[in-house]
Amino acid sequence: MTAENPVISCKNVWKIFGPDPEAFMKTMPEGMSFEEIRAAGYIAGVKDVSIEVHKGEMLVIMGLSGSGKSTLVRCFSRLHDITGGTITVEGQDIMSLSEKELIDLRRSKMGMVFQSFGLLPHRTILENVAFPLEMRGQDKHTRRERALEVIKLVGLEGREDYFPRELSGGQQQRVGIARSLAIEPDIWFLDEPFSALDPLIRKEMQDEFLRLQQMLNKTIVFITHDFDEALRLADRIAIMKDGAVEQCDTPDQIVLHPATEYVRKFTEDIDKARVVHAGVLAQAHASGEGEPQDAGTTVHDMARMLVNDTREMIPVHRAGVSIGAMSRKAALDVLLGGDS
Amino acid sequence: MNKFTTALTAGVLALAPLSAIAADSDDPIVIPIHNWSSQIVMSNVVGQILEMNGNAVEYVTTDSQAVYESVRLGDVTLEMEVWEGAFGASFRAALEKGGIVDVGDHNAVTREDWWYPMWTKDACPGLPSWEALNDCASLFATAETGDKGRYLDGPVDWLKHGQERVEALGMDFVVVNAGSAAALWAEIGAAEADKRPIVVFNWTPNFAEAVWPGEFVEFPEWVDGCDKDPAVGPNPNALYDCGNPANGYMKKAAWDGMEAKWPSAYAILEKIDFSNPQIAEMAKLVDIDEMEPTEAAEVWLEANEDVWKGWLN
Amino acid sequence: MTVASTTLPTSLRSFSNAQIALACVAVALCLTIVQYLGLLPTWLHRLPEAIIPNFAAVLDAVFNFVKDDLGLLAFTRFLTEGLEWLLDFSANIFFGKRRFPNIGPVPWTAVAATAAVIGYYLGGWRLALLGGGTMVWTALIGQWEIAMQTMSVLAIAAPLAFVIGLSLGIAAWKYAWVDRVIKPVLSVLQTLPFFTYLLPAVIFFKVGPTAGAVATTIYAIPPMILMTTLGLKKVSPEVVEAGKMSGCTKAQMLRHVYIPSARTEILVGVNQVIMLSLAMVVLTAFIGMPGLGAKLLAMMGSFKLGRSFEIGVTIVLLAVMLDRMSKAWVIKLPEHFERDTPIWQKHSMLLLGLGLFIGFTLLSLVVPFLAEVGRGQDFSQGKELDNLIKAFLNIEWVKATTGFLRAFLNVQVLIPFRNFMLSIPTPAFILLVAAFALALAGRREALYALVFFSLVALSGWWDRAIITLYSVISAVSLAALIGLPIGILASRSNKWSERVLLVCDTAQTFPSFVYLIPAIMLFGITDVAVIFSILVFAMVPLTRYTIEGLRNVPEEMTEAADMSGATRLQKLWSVQLPIALPTMAVGFNQAIMFAFFMVIIAAFIGTQDLGQELQRTLAGTDLGKNFVLGICVSLMALTFDLTIMKWAADKKRMLGLQ
Repeated sequence: MTAENPVISCKNVWKIFGPDPEAFMKTMPEGMSFEEIRAAGYIAGVKDVSIEVHKGEMLVIMGLSGSGKSTLVRCFSRLHDITGGTITVEGQDIMSLSEKELIDLRRSKMGMVFQSFGLLPHRTILENVAFPLEMRGQDKHTRRERALEVIKLVGLEGREDYFPRELSGGQQQRVGIARSLAIEPDIWFLDEPFSALDPLIRKEMQDEFLRLQQMLNKTIVFITHDFDEALRLADRIAIMKDGAVEQCDTPDQIVLHPATEYVRKFTEDIDKARVVHAGVLAQAHASGEGEPQDAGTTVHDMARMLVNDTREMIPVHRAGVSIGAMSRKAALDVLLGGDS
Repeated sequence: MNKFTTALTAGVLALAPLSAIAADSDDPIVIPIHNWSSQIVMSNVVGQILEMNGNAVEYVTTDSQAVYESVRLGDVTLEMEVWEGAFGASFRAALEKGGIVDVGDHNAVTREDWWYPMWTKDACPGLPSWEALNDCASLFATAETGDKGRYLDGPVDWLKHGQERVEALGMDFVVVNAGSAAALWAEIGAAEADKRPIVVFNWTPNFAEAVWPGEFVEFPEWVDGCDKDPAVGPNPNALYDCGNPANGYMKKAAWDGMEAKWPSAYAILEKIDFSNPQIAEMAKLVDIDEMEPTEAAEVWLEANEDVWKGWLN
Repeated sequence: MTVASTTLPTSLRSFSNAQIALACVAVALCLTIVQYLGLLPTWLHRLPEAIIPNFAAVLDAVFNFVKDDLGLLAFTRFLTEGLEWLLDFSANIFFGKRRFPNIGPVPWTAVAATAAVIGYYLGGWRLALLGGGTMVWTALIGQWEIAMQTMSVLAIAAPLAFVIGLSLGIAAWKYAWVDRVIKPVLSVLQTLPFFTYLLPAVIFFKVGPTAGAVATTIYAIPPMILMTTLGLKKVSPEVVEAGKMSGCTKAQMLRHVYIPSARTEILVGVNQVIMLSLAMVVLTAFIGMPGLGAKLLAMMGSFKLGRSFEIGVTIVLLAVMLDRMSKAWVIKLPEHFERDTPIWQKHSMLLLGLGLFIGFTLLSLVVPFLAEVGRGQDFSQGKELDNLIKAFLNIEWVKATTGFLRAFLNVQVLIPFRNFMLSIPTPAFILLVAAFALALAGRREALYALVFFSLVALSGWWDRAIITLYSVISAVSLAALIGLPIGILASRSNKWSERVLLVCDTAQTFPSFVYLIPAIMLFGITDVAVIFSILVFAMVPLTRYTIEGLRNVPEEMTEAADMSGATRLQKLWSVQLPIALPTMAVGFNQAIMFAFFMVIIAAFIGTQDLGQELQRTLAGTDLGKNFVLGICVSLMALTFDLTIMKWAADKKRMLGLQ
């Protein structure tokens, strides 16, 4: 998106599980499939993945269980050591970090939220949230203050002295979120943070999460198995299968142009009109007449206009500046599901 | 209890001549306690006497055979009851290795042998002769022993040679070994209810005499060498064809460093001397009157002042 | 499996386990028949004396070398000093032994009040009553000092076992090689008869409380290690990752993440440490540990049934109290206080406990009875109980029943069975055991059985080992005959399950040797008494696991059976029992382990087995012999343990229960 260096960049990353992954990796013939590797007694958790995450971007990694999405995000923070390839975080090769440097990196730059919250049951909410600060050796007073601040941010004021088991699932995940934010990380990993929650709570938490992100503007890697959630939150989506990335693109592009049959299956039942924005349909060199549409408007929101309007080409603006025009027919195709 | 001893100590100290020979060490004298009452009470009596003498005393429960090894090493300081029959071997072995000294005999005899409670005599009037016993063998039969009588011997490790004696004297008895003294008492207790005849291993002095009056079986009299030379005794071809000695010794023993370390206490120990009735009385206080050993010792000391007063320096 | 199959000749692989097992049985049968015909050469019946290696002498030499030449004795005696200081310290606090810090003894009323407050804090009124009541009973029955002697050792041995067990558990979890080394050692330790712990303890740590404390500690360590590793392995990976992402160093991970998260398992370990320590601290009376056990032995030695029984009750009460309190601690979770709760309210229990403690301590300065129940002030009913017990044992029908049982079991069943077992030639017996292991578990277990029992044969104690085994098998079979129906019946209702489980708990904590005297009085010094005393003990796990197995059958399955129109018996037979069987097998296994434990104690009655020889070694310094005997027991127990547990695990996997 931007020209500056990516925050996280990984090139040809492999993560293989099995008795002796390094040796296997060395002798492995080029282009071995996931099944072939499994037949050899190994599991390719991450298979030749190259991906970049940019500053302030929210990358959602989507895949079914066993697709390697959680493994990949654990490679980013070196909870797993990778078998091959390189991962750099803010320009530093994380595999070359010493134990101490790695701990420092996590203490200062990274926060992570877990599917089942990963709270420490014997500590109060306050102590859980202050845990990373405590580990970093901050004094009691400062860490209490900071923890209270984040607890307030996630809306759990007054529950500081409760224990995790005394809270509902949604509240527990708020604690998880607060803990991951306590050290003011630049990079925020969220591993299926809302999957364990009831659908209603999940929606509420997603809204809450979007609110936070607008305030904090972190670089985010978000994992989910829920395509709707991915579409709702992502700047870009990486869809994974058998350890490999099938497609990595914006939600609009994925919906409009699924790269593989696998991705297409996901998009089939999606109401594309709610995903595709005017900005994506705009053709840069085309121009149109009349009232412009904002680039961020979804086709769904333009539905009435599209049906009633008679223009061939409709101008599209972003932040008041023209970026081209979109064809009304193309937009209607999206709306009526005609182009697939 | 503490008040009592303090008062007693104070009283005695006031009376005691001030000319103590040499100062005893402040380290506690360690007195071993075993698992039968007379020894426990006697040890407590001696402990309290030594406390009156100004010594620090501590009690430790030990095995009655292993104690001689402990005395030798100085882990415990003395032993009040060395029975000839039961512990003579361990004691002599320790003496040979060195580190332990013989501090003289009590005026008491010990005896261990086949024994029966009085009601048995009603069924077998010829007792206590061993021939009479053998004639009544069938009275002592049980389901397991068939026609033969059952003799309940002590635990195998007491090495009482009951089996050998049965064979040497051609008796119609089967020897069954009890696993512990408690097992012996349990059998006598069970027999008591319906006055069933029973013959078991027993010894004196112990509490059983007071609970179940009884007698020892009279075997051919003990002759030295009966356990070593087949020619000795009525059966010229067998060992163990006599009864056990009817008057075994009961000694006091001490660690050989005791005299140097606690000279005054050692002098008292040398004088200490209990008789069979005194020992039986000590056992009775615990076994019949159900006192705790420390209480029993206090009571005994109160009642027998004339006995022990003279032992103090 | 891999070990076994690589060492076995390939030709064997083509046969199924059942075929091989059958072949073994056939060979064994032939050997036995030949033996009965009197045609078997003696060297095939029993190993000739000449080829039996003198393990005991070798071990003695090794011990002596380690003890004296390597200076282990000097080292352990050095440790003894430290341990003695600790024990003296707690002895002073608990029962006023004249040692540093010279402030004890704590008045019994203060202890009782504190126990009640702790009970209340952990589990409300019922536990408060149990805690306070136990202490009041102990004091009033006149056993305060001896109980405190026991507790003072427990107070040192249990924490020691906890610390050592925890450290070893962490090490075993962290380093695979430690785990590999520790596992077999633990198995052996758990099956080693306790007499084998005692003698080395005496030699290395001086007779008396120090040796007792060491033996107790060693005895209590294994479950702590197991529970620690189990707990640490179970910590959820997300919690671990959360810790890592919070930037924990390795030490911080352990201290702040792993150990607190494994709290439940660690506390269960603590519970087991306490229970085992208490059981052992009573048994260490055999090596001169003062306290309840020593008193019990002395009481039994002077035929005081009533007093023995009272001491038994005290031990049960203490055990139940410690058990319930530590279990309540396991499930006790921290509660939050509302904001601005005053500090005295947050710590109200601590303050109350302290207050009562100080209050009673002061009060007892004025009222001596509150400090110490003095001479003649106790409420012991020893004599009355004596008469009661004797009267019971003297009831006509009781005597008639036991008389019949004694005659019938002994003459018709037990003695013939024993003679039969003894008549089987050694190699035939080993083959039979191996066949049993093969049929039930697999080749690896069969190989172990073969090696273990051959070692027993080589030890030179074969006949005694067989007699031990005979007692165990007879007792467990009889226990199954009684325990299984009770378990099955009790499992039908909640109420009865609870009642029977409570009885099981109590029976298990009741000091085993209290049973012995009534057993003798009922059955005389015969094998029946021995088997009876083992049976009482072995029935407990059988009943318990039967109940638990049956009650844990998933409800859908019983409902499905009901809907299929099964009668109660059909349901039991074709649904509940098959599913409960693996759990019941665990109970069966434990019954065998308990029986091996108890058969050693039964030497007290009078046996001709390994236990008797073991008890005999206690009086001397025969470390080598003691060890050989202990290992024999352990090897036999291990054979059963490995085989049955493997079978239960296989079965569970087959049923998809794990």
